[in-house]
Amino acid sequence: MRNVSEFCSGVCTGFSAAWAIARKDILIYYAKPNIIVSGMLFPLFMFLAFAVGRPADPATMVPGLIAITILFSSSSIEPVSIPLERRTKTFERLLSAPVSLHMVVLGESMSGFLYSCCVALVPLAAGMVLFRIPVPDFPVLAAGIILLSFCFATMGTLFAAYPTESPGDIMSMLNLVRLPLIFVSGVFVPIGQVPFPGQVIAYLSPLTYGNDLVQAGFGRATQFHTGIDIAALCIAIGIFQSLANRLYRAFNE
Amino acid sequence: MHAIEAISLEKRFGTIQALAGISFSVEEGETFGFLGPNGAGKTTTIRILTGMTEPTGGSGRIFGRDVVREKIPARREIGIVHETSNIYTDLSAWENLIFTARLYNVGKRERESRAHDLLSVFGLAGRKDDKTKGFSKGMKRRLTIAMGLINNPRLLFLDEPTSGLDVQSNLIIRDVIRRLTGEGVTIFLTTHNIEEANILCDRVAIINRGRIAAIDTPERLKKTIQSVQSIEVAFDPSAAVRADELAEIDQVTAIRKMGDKYRLITGDPPAVIGGVMDYAGRSGLRIISINTLGPSLEDVFIRLTGLDEKGGGGTP
Repeated sequence: MRNVSEFCSGVCTGFSAAWAIARKDILIYYAKPNIIVSGMLFPLFMFLAFAVGRPADPATMVPGLIAITILFSSSSIEPVSIPLERRTKTFERLLSAPVSLHMVVLGESMSGFLYSCCVALVPLAAGMVLFRIPVPDFPVLAAGIILLSFCFATMGTLFAAYPTESPGDIMSMLNLVRLPLIFVSGVFVPIGQVPFPGQVIAYLSPLTYGNDLVQAGFGRATQFHTGIDIAALCIAIGIFQSLANRLYRAFNE
Repeated sequence: MHAIEAISLEKRFGTIQALAGISFSVEEGETFGFLGPNGAGKTTTIRILTGMTEPTGGSGRIFGRDVVREKIPARREIGIVHETSNIYTDLSAWENLIFTARLYNVGKRERESRAHDLLSVFGLAGRKDDKTKGFSKGMKRRLTIAMGLINNPRLLFLDEPTSGLDVQSNLIIRDVIRRLTGEGVTIFLTTHNIEEANILCDRVAIINRGRIAAIDTPERLKKTIQSVQSIEVAFDPSAAVRADELAEIDQVTAIRKMGDKYRLITGDPPAVIGGVMDYAGRSGLRIISINTLGPSLEDVFIRLTGLDEKGGGGTP
């Protein structure tokens, strides 16, 4: 009984510390120019590059815009904040605090997650208000936004484990992964029209399942059952969290 | 129960052995100095004892808790002041303290009360809500130490707390260290300032090339090298002094210029005093002051770390 109570108390303490880390990141990084550029402007320009001049109905484009907005905004905080904190040695503060590495990774990811959820509301509101696009299954859309945001925020934290003090190093590596994902994950081009190697990557990409969930929320045709999308995103989150934990431990030696 | 126990701690980075099985213990309430030249293994020892890295051999305990297996409970008992003033410069002094308190799970009422107290103690209350970006080096250092104390630790790791600071900050920090010692807080201090270790520490360990070279009270360490005594002499600056001629005085084993004074190292101070008098008379020099000095902790440090053999003879 005492062990259970100690465990519960430890978990609560860990979450409280993770939230403290997220709050700190919100206070410091949300208004940084490079976060705004990589998290908000970059997905907008990517979208315009696809959408301008194409005779597409906004209803078909808005779910994709939400998905890539989440991809870029959720993974834009930690690749900037963690190397900068390595440079100023403030990251050592987190690593030496009475907090498990899992909770440090969770706290770091939470700031990217919350940022992304807020940023995703912009194209969602634009779609609903300006283009009067209906959202017949709002809970599924919310699940899509939440899981996709958390998944890519954790991926951002995972990439930020690379032991550098330069955000540019991590952003370059991250873009090597993020940019191809847009083309193969069914965001703008249906997966069936992607060449075979791309289709293999598509089935491994969390963006495929997240985009599918968002499309489902808007009542559009989907590739997979909602349960499969949710399970795939949860598995990806677990893998990213576990890998991040291992890498931070290894690189901290 | 010991506050710190290091038992045959080893750390290897590939082929490099950073720590070669060091053992020591620190008692509760003790101020323990950990001295050594750069690369001797000081930071690695602190990183192991604070659970930031794992030893490749041996073990460490903080108040009886293993620093690998019981890392989180062990860390709750300690405060860490890193060598760099690692504060968040985009946050205010208050926000920095409150954030650290939240990391250590300090309750709301207690963290606010402690933050107020610490800002007053460290002379930062007037700048509480200012972004720390504009703080001086000394103010940043004081805030870093305040952050290390926010969880009311039983053991404080202080890594170079006063390095390169102004006099005011130095005095405040040393005063706080003395006050903490009075309150029974254990302090593990690494410093390059050997005089600081001499006046603050109950015991010091000297580490060199990953091994403990000596561990004892400052006074007992000094007694181990009684042969290293010295004469400190200052001449009237109006006449030129030839250091090479001073070095040739019988029984002088080494000479160091210390500001406007010369320190002549010897095992026979009376003989050297006579020699210095003769030299001054011959050269028409007026002696302003002359003192006999026992071995300093710095002498012990230089002797044990072999810095004098490397052509140093200067302050490490």
